[in-house]
Formats: sequence, C-alpha cells, structure tokens
Amino acid sequence: MEQTIKVGWLFNNMFNLHGDRGNLLAIQAEAKRRGYRVEVTQINLDTETFNPLDFDFLFCPPGEIEHFEAVAVYLEPHRNELMAFIETRPMLVTGTTVALFGETIKRDDQSEIIGLGIIEIQTSENHVVYGDDLYYSCQYNGKEMEIIGSQIQMIDLDIKEESPFGRLKYGYGNNGKTKVEGVISGKGIFTNTLGPVLVGNPWLTEEIINLIEVNKNWPVWEEQRDNSLELKSQKSKIVHINKKETRLKSISER
Amino acid sequence: MMKFYFALWLAKLMGIAIKLVSKGRGTNLPGEKALTIDPDFVKHFKNIDYSKVVFITGTNGKSSTTNLVTHILKQNGKKIVSNLEGANLLGGIATSLAKEASLSGKLKADYYIFETDERYLPLIYAQLPAENMLITNLQKDQVQRNGDPDFIIRKLKEVVNPNMTLILNNEEPRSRFFEEVARRSIYYSVSRHNESFVKGGDYPTQACPKCHHDLRFDYYNVDSIGAFACDFCGFASKSTPDYSVTELNFKDNTFKLKDVVFHMPYDLPFMFYNYAGALAICDAICGITPAAAAGAFENFKNIGGRFEVMTYKNKTIKYMRIKQENPDTLQSALNIMASDQSKKMVALGLYVVNDFVPHYINTFYAFDCDFKPLVDSNVERYLCFSEHVAYDTANRLVYEGVSREEITIMDSDDIKEIFAEIDKAETDNIYLITWISTFEKMKKFIEGGQN
Repeated sequence: MEQTIKVGWLFNNMFNLHGDRGNLLAIQAEAKRRGYRVEVTQINLDTETFNPLDFDFLFCPPGEIEHFEAVAVYLEPHRNELMAFIETRPMLVTGTTVALFGETIKRDDQSEIIGLGIIEIQTSENHVVYGDDLYYSCQYNGKEMEIIGSQIQMIDLDIKEESPFGRLKYGYGNNGKTKVEGVISGKGIFTNTLGPVLVGNPWLTEEIINLIEVNKNWPVWEEQRDNSLELKSQKSKIVHINKKETRLKSISER
Repeated sequence: MMKFYFALWLAKLMGIAIKLVSKGRGTNLPGEKALTIDPDFVKHFKNIDYSKVVFITGTNGKSSTTNLVTHILKQNGKKIVSNLEGANLLGGIATSLAKEASLSGKLKADYYIFETDERYLPLIYAQLPAENMLITNLQKDQVQRNGDPDFIIRKLKEVVNPNMTLILNNEEPRSRFFEEVARRSIYYSVSRHNESFVKGGDYPTQACPKCHHDLRFDYYNVDSIGAFACDFCGFASKSTPDYSVTELNFKDNTFKLKDVVFHMPYDLPFMFYNYAGALAICDAICGITPAAAAGAFENFKNIGGRFEVMTYKNKTIKYMRIKQENPDTLQSALNIMASDQSKKMVALGLYVVNDFVPHYINTFYAFDCDFKPLVDSNVERYLCFSEHVAYDTANRLVYEGVSREEITIMDSDDIKEIFAEIDKAETDNIYLITWISTFEKMKKFIEGGQN
C-alpha cells in the first residue's frame, strides 16, 4: 500500500500573502520523489473537526493581522495539541503569523491581540514595512544548513528565552537589532522567511521529510535530491547580498 | 495667502521652463516645489467644487481608467483638470492644478479627475476632499512598501466617509468592503467572457473582509477578481450591478453596456474593468450617458499601456510589462500568452526589486500564479534571464512540470545575450516579460539598426 504523508495547510485562503503555496508544492515534490503520496487538508474557520495530531506536517502561512483574532479563537481549543505536535513533528509557520503563536501582539494603534502562547515571544506591529533579503545559518533535524530568502517585516519579534531558529548572516531578522532570526521550538519552525522558503532551500524540505520518515518509522531515504539549480541560485543571491547597498546595522555591530 | 501666490507663480514658471526643455517631463516637480513653499498649496486653490472631484485609486488600473474618463469627458466638450501622466502623489496633483489655474489661483473646470496613489490618499484628501472616488481593486502589490492589502485598506479607511460617493468594482471583495461606509455606492462589473478562467483548488482565494471566513470564486475575469461569495455571511458580488460590461466579442472587438455597443480599443481582460469603471463615472457622476460616451472609444489611445509589439529580424516580440511583486499583472500576462496556441518562445525576466534601497529578490508572487495553461500552450523554449533571479524563475517553471532541458537560464541582463537566445528560436513568435529598463534597451537595440 502506498505510504501517505498527511499535511495540514492552516488557513490557506485567509493567510495568503507571498506565494506561500510554493511550500506545499515543495513538500509534495520531495515526498513524491521518495515514492510517497501526500494528502493535503485545508483547515479553515469552517473546519469542524481539526486535530493537529492527525497530521505529519503542519504549515501555517503569513497573514494579515486583521484576521488573527478570529484564528486565535478557532485554534485556542487546540493549543495543547499543537504544543504536543511540535514536540516531535515538523511545523512551519512563516511571516506575520509567527506572532499569532506567541503571547501578546501589540498593534500600531496600541490595541492588543492575545496570541496562542505556544511560544514565549512578544511581538509588536511596525508603523512602516521593511522588506529585504534574508540570509542565515541554522540547524534542523541535526543538519547544519544555510537558508536564503526574503522578508517583509510588519511585526518585530522579541523572542525572550526561546531558541532562535537562525543566526543571521544578512538581514533584518527578528527586529533589526539582534543577530538572530525566528524561533525554533521542538520541531516547530517559526520564521520570518517568506514565500516558498522550502522551494528555494530544498535542503530544509529534505530534512522535514526525513523527520516525517523517522516519526512514521519509515526508512530514511538515502538518495539525495539534485539541488544544483537551488545551489546556483543561492550562490548568485549571496553575490547580490554582498554587493548591495543597505542601511541595516551590520550583524557584527548588533 | 502670499505664500500661496508665490508658490503658484513659481510652479507655473517651472512648468513652462520644463516644458521648453523637455516635453512630457516635469509632472511632479513644480507641484513639489510649490508645496515646500506653501505646505497647504492644494487646499488654497479657489472655485473647486468638491462634488465635481473624482479620485481614482486602487492597485491596478488607475492610470488607464483616469485616461479613459478624461478622454470621454473631453470628447464630450467638458473642461477637465487631470493628472494624465500618472503623477499620482500630492506633488503631481498640485502641478496639474497650478498649470490650469489663473494667476490668482482660480480654477474653472467642469470636473477634476485625479489618479491618486492609494498609499498617499490620506495626505491628498486632507487638502482636496473629493466627494467621489473609484476604487479599482485592492490587491497584493509592492509588498516591500505596502506589506499586505490590509495595510492599504487602513489607509483608505482614513479617507472614506459617509459624505462620499464610491464607484466600486462589483467583483473585487476588498474594495466592495467600503460600501458600508459610503453615502452612496455605484457598482461596475464585467460579465463572464471567453477569457474568464478558474484556478485549481490548491490556489488560495482570500478571506471575507466582513466575517473572516473563506471566499469562494466561481470564476475570475482577472486574477483575484470575479464572481465571489462568502457562504458564511452571504457577502457576494451583486447579480445586478449598476454598470456591467457584457457580450464581450473578441472577434469583432466590441462589448455592450446598458444596451449600447462599444468598440473595444484593447482586448486585454484587465482593460474591461477600466471600461466599466470609466463609463460608471461618466454617467453617474458627470452626466455623460453610455450612448454619448461610445464615440470616444473609437479613438482612445492609452498612455503607458502594458503591451507593446516590436519587430526583430523576422520575429515578432510581444512585450508585456508587469508590476513586480504583483501576481495579478503576472497572471494576466500568463493568460495572454496561454491564449495564443501557436508555437512560441517565452522569455521571462523577473528581476531584482529595485524601487528603493535595499534592493531585494522577490519572485515568490510567481507561486500565486497558474503557469499550467501557459505550459500547455505549445511553448518551443523558455528563456529565464536576469541577474540573481533567473534560477528562481526557472524553478517556478520546473514546479509546473517543465523539464530543465527546455529552459535556458541566463544569470544576466545583457541584451545581446538575450537577443542571441531569441535568434536561436525556430519560432518567430516571441513573448517577453521583463522590467521597463531592459525592454527600453532592447527597443533601442532594434531601433539602432540591429535588425
């Protein structure tokens, strides 16, 4: 019987800002290469029975803060399940939506939204948007790797005692003042890297699938993916980053 | 008031001087200088009846709609003040007013039709409180500056008030949201036509702006714009909008609105909403009926359109200008290419976003777009070019099932290399997407006798 990976795509219509569907395509393509079937379930406010533990991978794309309260109300009953989920299973949360999984979100108009409190971070909406490239090193599922992507920062993160996901080589990261990017909590990745981060960085996608294989007691696929296209892209982007004009404080000075 | 007069005279002088040096330039500068002298410059013009002022704002279609409204009204003998060159910030509007005003700042026009940048709308409205506003659509666009559509919606919320008449795109949910605030809402629409399309279930839609639940689109006329409904709260496009473009006939280049037959000057789907919106303004705000407006469609030339054709050797290069970070204009370009089933070469030059520092790489909006119809439309070869971005562009195609062997990847913007690849194509049917700067260089190369 075909082995199936179950993916939960959280609020795909509501949280749809930066071509985030590409991340699903990356997961599907890598799973297919290894001979697995991928079953994607879209979770929205009308989903009556949602149990995070029914899935092998959860993806929550970036969204407009305007919708956060409605989503927080929906997800609050599943808070403990989500916390249990990220202890062993991979979850990817990107962009503004990271704030939803944190504690309090302070809006630009000084109002506050109470987040899910799954990760201990405080967040505040910025008055202006900051967009730039983002380049950092990180470790996931025991593998060291470099991630390159872009960032449209509308919310600053203060990650307090949480572990950062990445160590910045270039970019704004959590708030432009520190050397770190995102948060990793258990197997949950909470990152500012937008759009199809898993397309541009297939080495991360591979590790997510490797982890799913371990969780499901499947043998870990040995045959490496051909990442030559993405490696060339990464190399070219690093050249761009190294020569670009920037007003960011250098990482070493933070 | 002396500051105003001094600013006005300076703006007029600058306008004349710039016109002498270079025609078509100087759409912003005189107004900007005037505003440094008198920060309330626009507020101080005399005789403006705000009920005759129309703002045209939104993500896509502002310039074309403004151009068309102005053209129709002028053809019908109306005196119009407008910012036709797309100078849509306060400085551009100030320039237009200064140019048309008397030396004492008095204006005498039938209507004031201004394209207004949605981000700067509150600043403009503070000095020029228009009582009418058309919102074309509110989409994902220029995310480095605007973040997300809600960022722009909040800007518009600062302006829309119960004294306003809004002209709203019936099939665009975010702009329809403002109907709740306005004194009066007029709805314009485009009915389903041969180039309407649907997207697969894994293409996200958007949240209902009224209740946060998911919206359903029955079809799209332009990406993100089409017949929609929220099954939770009932918010939906109206079945009987006030002004609807119907019976689009691509063979005869005609359409109908309120039983009047119109010549269709451009058969590009995104233009149809501009036709409907322009006709709504002309009839409902300016009293020019569709029948009276029809003649103006016979000789309408859009300024700065998004589609140009060049001849290179024995090949036809069809250039489509898209807006970076804007999936809707890319989807429109893809649909146009896909609708041509003859053999073609597709040259895709998405590029580094370089609007302001820091320049950065963003091709992720390409994943919002459906490339499948293009891939299925008889493409001989793909060329993905542009420094630092070409590999990502190629990867988007790979994710749509294109094999790597079918794609030439060029990590460069060198136009000679681009033309060398075009030379290699067997087909003479070339489609080109890139930024205006590369296109202009290519145009010059051809005009310079490289044919």
